[in-house]
Amino acid sequence: MDSRVPAELERKIDEAIGHYPPDQKRSAALPLLHLWQEHFGLINDDAVTWIAAKLGLQPINIFELVTFYPMLREKRAGKTHIRVCRTLSCAMAGSYQVMENLCAATGIQRKTDLAAAGHTPISVSPDRNYSIEFVECLASCGTAPVCMVNDDLHENVQPDNARSILSQPADKPVVPSPHPLEQRIIFKNIGRSNWKTDIKTYLDDGGYDDLRKALQMSRAEIINEVKTSGLRGRGGAGFPCGVKWSFIKPDEKKPVYLICNADESEPGTFKDRYIIHEDPHQLLEGIAISCFALNARTAYLYIRGEFPEGAKILERAIEEAREHKFLGKNILGSGFDVEVHIHRGAGAYICGEETGLIESLEGKRAYPRIKPPYFPAVLGLYMCPTIVNNVETLCAVKHIIAMGGAKYAQFGRPNNTGTRIVCVSGDVERPGYFEIEVGKVTMGQLIYEMAGGVKWGRRLKAVIPGGSSAKVLRADERFKLKQKQPDGSTIDVEMSIYDLPMDFDSLAAAGSMAGSGGVIVLDDSRNMVWVLNNINEFYAHESCGQCTPCREGSLWMKKITERMLNGGGVTEDPRTLKTIGDNIAGRTICAFGEACAWPTQSFVEKFPEEFAAHARKSIPPPLPPEDTPRELIEREQIPTSPLAHDPGWEEAGADAVI
Amino acid sequence: MPESTPPLFDVQIDGVWHQFPKGTRVIEACAQAGVYVPRYCYHKKLSSPGNCRMCLIEMGMPRMGPERKPELGADGKPIINWMPRPQICCAQDVAEGMGVRTNSPMVEECRKGVMEFLLINHPLDCPICDQAGECELQEFSVEYGAGGSRFLENKVKKPKAVQLGPRVTLDDERCILCSRCVRFCNEIAKDDVLGFTDRGSHTVLTAHPGKRLENNYSLNTVDLCPVGALTSTDFRFKMRVWFLKETKSICTSCATGCNTLIGTREDIVYRQTPRENDHVNSCWMCDYGRLNFKYLEAENRILEPQISNGKELVPSDWKSAIAHAALQLRQFSAENIAIIASGRMTNEELWLTRKVADVLGVRYIDIVPRFGEGDDILLCEDRNPNATGAQLILGLDSEPGAKLPAIVRGVKSGAIRALLVLGENPITLGISGEQLTSMPALVAMDILSNAANEHATVLLPASGFAEKRGSMINGEGRLQRLNRAVRPPGNARDDWEILRDLLQALGGSNGIYTIEDVFRQMSAEIPKLAGLTLSKIGDLGVDVTKVDESPRPPIDPEAKDIEKAEESRPAGR
Repeated sequence: MDSRVPAELERKIDEAIGHYPPDQKRSAALPLLHLWQEHFGLINDDAVTWIAAKLGLQPINIFELVTFYPMLREKRAGKTHIRVCRTLSCAMAGSYQVMENLCAATGIQRKTDLAAAGHTPISVSPDRNYSIEFVECLASCGTAPVCMVNDDLHENVQPDNARSILSQPADKPVVPSPHPLEQRIIFKNIGRSNWKTDIKTYLDDGGYDDLRKALQMSRAEIINEVKTSGLRGRGGAGFPCGVKWSFIKPDEKKPVYLICNADESEPGTFKDRYIIHEDPHQLLEGIAISCFALNARTAYLYIRGEFPEGAKILERAIEEAREHKFLGKNILGSGFDVEVHIHRGAGAYICGEETGLIESLEGKRAYPRIKPPYFPAVLGLYMCPTIVNNVETLCAVKHIIAMGGAKYAQFGRPNNTGTRIVCVSGDVERPGYFEIEVGKVTMGQLIYEMAGGVKWGRRLKAVIPGGSSAKVLRADERFKLKQKQPDGSTIDVEMSIYDLPMDFDSLAAAGSMAGSGGVIVLDDSRNMVWVLNNINEFYAHESCGQCTPCREGSLWMKKITERMLNGGGVTEDPRTLKTIGDNIAGRTICAFGEACAWPTQSFVEKFPEEFAAHARKSIPPPLPPEDTPRELIEREQIPTSPLAHDPGWEEAGADAVI
Repeated sequence: MPESTPPLFDVQIDGVWHQFPKGTRVIEACAQAGVYVPRYCYHKKLSSPGNCRMCLIEMGMPRMGPERKPELGADGKPIINWMPRPQICCAQDVAEGMGVRTNSPMVEECRKGVMEFLLINHPLDCPICDQAGECELQEFSVEYGAGGSRFLENKVKKPKAVQLGPRVTLDDERCILCSRCVRFCNEIAKDDVLGFTDRGSHTVLTAHPGKRLENNYSLNTVDLCPVGALTSTDFRFKMRVWFLKETKSICTSCATGCNTLIGTREDIVYRQTPRENDHVNSCWMCDYGRLNFKYLEAENRILEPQISNGKELVPSDWKSAIAHAALQLRQFSAENIAIIASGRMTNEELWLTRKVADVLGVRYIDIVPRFGEGDDILLCEDRNPNATGAQLILGLDSEPGAKLPAIVRGVKSGAIRALLVLGENPITLGISGEQLTSMPALVAMDILSNAANEHATVLLPASGFAEKRGSMINGEGRLQRLNRAVRPPGNARDDWEILRDLLQALGGSNGIYTIEDVFRQMSAEIPKLAGLTLSKIGDLGVDVTKVDESPRPPIDPEAKDIEKAEESRPAGR
């Protein structure tokens, strides 16, 4: 069978294996699967067996991955494969219509009932020229709806003219110039005229000077600057970066790893995409500085699989940086070695969770680890101390070194320092990204001044302020916030949603969170049950399935909201939804539990009238059992499947639909 | 405090302070304090993934005052800062001043919630499920679940009746994805064959089509499965488990002597399952040993004592058969008699055999060695369960089987004219059927008829391992007990009684009325058994001989390996 694997592919495979420690070859599983699929178009049993043998694993170890990561395919796609984003902002912008039109244009009969099952198979056109699937958030919510045609992202697709994407190349949307309320530091190069991603452009702009500067500093000094800066993680949890870094012992004997979390996939968030695609060297410089500060000789850049172009740009940038001695052995003559490797994901939101990411990087299903004992800073990648930071956070490190932590801390508000990129999508006139001083801009300014306000003739109904997992805020809510006075005392201030400062603490005090900075705006045309159902479908699809509450609860919630939408809502449903959320939040291995519970909890609590309107029927009586015990045993005694190879809901037909 | 003793930590469990050694899992500490915390994924012999969330409890750590010292309350004990969120207790070790609440309203809510989640997509086909009656979903539903269901949706469909391997059938809809079986295969059986495919609520337990679950330990996954997902293909739909009588015994298929429970109903053995004994088999046993009981029900079971009329064996009664056997044996002088005993016999049977040999003055006595392929988990190369006991009790001064060639030669040359064969087949030793036919006396005691014992002059039907009591010494020198789970079929009798009667017929009254009497006699004469009685052996056995004195050093370090693996396993998954 080896003869089937061409020498060129095998060379790439061996190179990929070389990116990981010799005793951790399993890490190369995902890269190998990508390589295989790129070459052969699918991953069949032969591939599973071959790759397992190559990595010294059992076939099941690989098989587990193929079925976990949706981008890996056991069946061949069409010559042109189309991914249509179905997550909230795109769905609001008409992605279901896009799907319909594309199916009509390509002659694809989509099995819609199966899509509803949460397991979305690829549908292929009869001539096998096209295949199509719904995918979850492609992290381009500002230009919704979006599709990927093979590796190309098409933005602002016209729902009623979607077929044009099949014949026309993707065109870049016009990048507006920065808004006056913005404070661009990290995004200062995004959208600049004549800005290119090559290293020359970057160096002409003073690039890598901050790395030079950092290499002159001591590790403790760098960590102190980051602590002084008050930088809080930009990935979602808002954990102070300097504190996280200080968990690594200065005299650590084991190798330390830095992982850059570029698995941007929280619906409503699309900031890292632009850093990666437009300013890759900024990120690499941030990574190199951070590696030096942490004494990490190896950094992995875990980039989501749906950014193939981003991965290529970063690969090239890494090559350039190596040529210029910014990466590799003895960087800039400092005696410090650092290698950065790209590791591509394959379509799993859970890989954004840091321990899930680590498991994925180790070549396993991205099952988050229990904490304790697996705090990444102690027992992270390969059971070594590991720091996982978001793309934007690592970029901020570069600027903290440039200007000093104290100067950085002057941006923003106390405990909410610096700038951060806020992404606005949904029902606004000018969706997009805005780099603001944290807390210096209010929600009202963001929506009405920066994003152009809600669409003409519409009124603001609700805002999801920090990615789709953040609790929704009603437009007519009044929030009581404690505000620190200059003399140190605090006073209670009541305010409307428009006056809410866009920072970590204020949004937390308002009962939600700043999260990943993805603001999704909903106007009064939106049915909140429909919105919640869309969110629930995302979480039901993305739940890794490891621990009970989230695995079972996420799908259950989705089934209820779907039934309510289809007119089958019963009076108990809102209460059931709420209690399912209560039974998930705080009881799972990772924060995904909260992420999937908070939308339901908050939507039901804040829009009771809408949910009640969809829940008018009485509970149906229980159904009698379908079979007698004898019939059950007779059916059971006939082994129906030799192995649970095919879970069966593609072939099983309508009666197997959940 | 000596260095080897781990420090003790004060831990408050449900308001009461206890002390536990450092390194104790919180869930085990609770158990030691008499509080059972429900769990699905946790198993003390496997790593802890913490995925089922059934063992959520409230946990707290001491409130730290200035100088990082715990603040003490009025009772002089630390004041506990309770964590706002519930914590799992299966993956954390106890810590000084830790507080645990296992019965608070929050904990009850958590358990109820998890139970509801586990049941919504579960088929609830308990009436026909083999696990019913020993299903933890059922048990915890009673304890912690809600009475009714709020679930109005269609359940997730998954594969049914999947043949994971030759011995294990999987119902994926019943699976709660606790991963015990996956971890067992990986960590204990060292055969990474099971895994999960797909994700979320659609996650499916399976094996890769190219590699099935067919290792010799596959049925342990059935024991480990807390629900009816993994079932034994052999036991499936055979018997409702609550009708089974469970008898503690040991497996007699190799020298390891795994501790077992024999599940029976009305004198039929339905299954064997491993019984925990950390000195021997941890919680496991091999499939080979586990399923090696079908012969008890075999067609060729000998049901009546039989005496040859010169042409064929005809049924007889016990009194005549024993008298006949004694008469035949007594015709010959000691050097014309040989006894082929078995390493499958109990100590008691071997002791009486030795007494028979003593009465007859027989020097040609030996057992038949029996070897097969072993592994480094439990299965021993020595397939005789009691070769150690035979060596000790028969007083063999050479390797077991060393005298067999001489016996065979004696039979062939006609020097040996009487054979007492106990549970072995002389044909396998190279004695032909014709030679056996020409023996003036061939007294055979056995369970099944075979090509050899059909030539017997007297055939005595004996009992299988599940039908009798007695003791055996495993390859590591551990004395363990067999218990009677079923009665022998027909007129078959317990082996020790047959031998006792034969001894009586040969040498007169011997004062042995019970098997305890046999053991008492034996322990009085064999120093290594001194002071022991059958009841003193207990359910878990006692060590009686050193490994270096056993006939062959045991091939595998078996249980020790498992212990070692446990010691080195990481704290969590």
